[in-house]
Amino acid sequence: MIALVRAEWTKLFTTRVWIGLLLGACALVSGFVVLFTSFAGSTPGGGQGGPPGGLPAVGTEQFEQLVLAVGANVTVLFLILGIIGMTQEYRHRTATPTFLTTPRRGRVVIAKLAAYALVAVPFALVVLAVNYGVAAVAAGARGAVPALSGENLQVLASSGLALVIYTVIGVGLGALVRNQVGAIVGGLVYLFVVEAIVRQISAIADAYKWLPGGALEALTATLQGPDLLERWQGALLLLGYGLVAALLGTLLAVRRDVV
Amino acid sequence: MGTSPGPREESPIDSGSSPHRHPVRVEVHGLSKSFGAVRAVDDLSFTVEPGSITGFLGPNGAGKTTTLRMALGLERPDAGTATFDGVTYPDLPAPVRTVGAVLETAFHPARSGRNHLRVYCRAAGLPVPRADEVLAQVGLADAGRRRAGGYSLGMRQRLALATALLGDPAVLVLDEPANGLDPEGIQWLRGFLRHLAHAEGRTVLVSSHLLAEMEQTADRVVIVGAGRLVREGSVAELRSGAQGSGAVVVRSPEAGRLAEVLGAAGFTVAPSEDGRVTVTGTTPDAVGAQAFRAGVELHELRAETSGLEELYFRLTAGQEQYAAPEGSRR
Repeated sequence: MIALVRAEWTKLFTTRVWIGLLLGACALVSGFVVLFTSFAGSTPGGGQGGPPGGLPAVGTEQFEQLVLAVGANVTVLFLILGIIGMTQEYRHRTATPTFLTTPRRGRVVIAKLAAYALVAVPFALVVLAVNYGVAAVAAGARGAVPALSGENLQVLASSGLALVIYTVIGVGLGALVRNQVGAIVGGLVYLFVVEAIVRQISAIADAYKWLPGGALEALTATLQGPDLLERWQGALLLLGYGLVAALLGTLLAVRRDVV
Repeated sequence: MGTSPGPREESPIDSGSSPHRHPVRVEVHGLSKSFGAVRAVDDLSFTVEPGSITGFLGPNGAGKTTTLRMALGLERPDAGTATFDGVTYPDLPAPVRTVGAVLETAFHPARSGRNHLRVYCRAAGLPVPRADEVLAQVGLADAGRRRAGGYSLGMRQRLALATALLGDPAVLVLDEPANGLDPEGIQWLRGFLRHLAHAEGRTVLVSSHLLAEMEQTADRVVIVGAGRLVREGSVAELRSGAQGSGAVVVRSPEAGRLAEVLGAAGFTVAPSEDGRVTVTGTTPDAVGAQAFRAGVELHELRAETSGLEELYFRLTAGQEQYAAPEGSRR
């Protein structure tokens, strides 16, 4: 199994997809932090003093948690990392040599899940380091470097955990859908259209907290939102979604013909 | 790119030209698979012996690729088994060390050929430097560090072959390996496969839809049509069984006299104006002998269609998925 995990890492690091996704995640995180810091403390009316309706001011607890949680907004790129990791085998038809080398196909999917979960940890740490670094510089320029302790640290850790779990969900989703474009488009449409609509309609909004997006929001949200689970419950639920996707993906990869 | 299979001897992992350490027989028994209403493979059974090249021959759509993919555990048969020394592919303790397969030339275009091979070294628990050995073996040593996406069709075939050779397997299964190879490449492949089978005692199964290619490469052929076994035997057996069914073309300055002589000897003769005589239902040997006895000067003597070719068309006639209307073929 260790050999298979290492083979997956060789696959990942002998193409450049990971560089693009990691740089993209870092750039997005930096952009969000700069944006939030620039408009911190402003209200829609243009006055100072923070919410309601605007962003909290630099130096407040809410502001620090907000800028340190932006990592959760790039979970989608980690989802895509996982999807590509699995679906590239079908897209480039390397599934054939892969499953010839390891005819017990479940082992391939499990190795991929492990390899991508493990690789997502340093990737997430890089994103979090950039997140904190940019926040320290940007907020520092306005007089208040966020402390790396207590609630702030918990916010960062939650984002990191969400990034890792979304990578695993991506691998599972890729094994389910197999078509790379289909899996990515489907994943994006689900997260940004379907869940957004469910969240809006009050009659079914109760269901939202049980969905992956709701679980992610429970785990990482710092602003007031809809009715959500506790942070730890969100983490468990998200982990559950990751495991279900992985299990279904493994079962299907074992049963279906390799075409 | 040489025409000799020489580079193999450079590889430290291989056993030189001594027989391969453990010969493995392939047995296909009652394999069947349907796609919807189409029976792609229909109760197909045959065996592949070590130390020889077996050609798996049939028109496009005859079920060759499906058979090979089922034998290698990539597709699930509706019925039947394929075993390697009695063990199915997924149950082999070390599959790539027993069987190497070239099924499709599939690579990640952005990954170099060498890295592609290293991935499978890692996955199979083989030493990573093995990647460089097989690259040299197939004549790709210089191209190994280039992106596989930039490879020519022939180079892709060679890389696929290198992937199959990674585990130094006792059995090699190749699906249409000559596709995309230039004449020099085909000749190289032929020599390479002969060396693997005859000198090293490996079991080689090669599929092809081209009879001429198999006639030159294979020792035995398994002919399939519409998913069913049509004929199985050695090339020599089939050729002698097909004796006398071909057409022979003779050219002579005395074409008229030649036609008379051959006609008198009981041959079916069709003379034409340009000094050629076409004789059907016989062999070049018989026509040449008759002409020699009659003292007729010959300038050309050849089989227009080999008996085997006639046989192949007859055996697989109408079994292609998109068969040409009767009479338009050839």
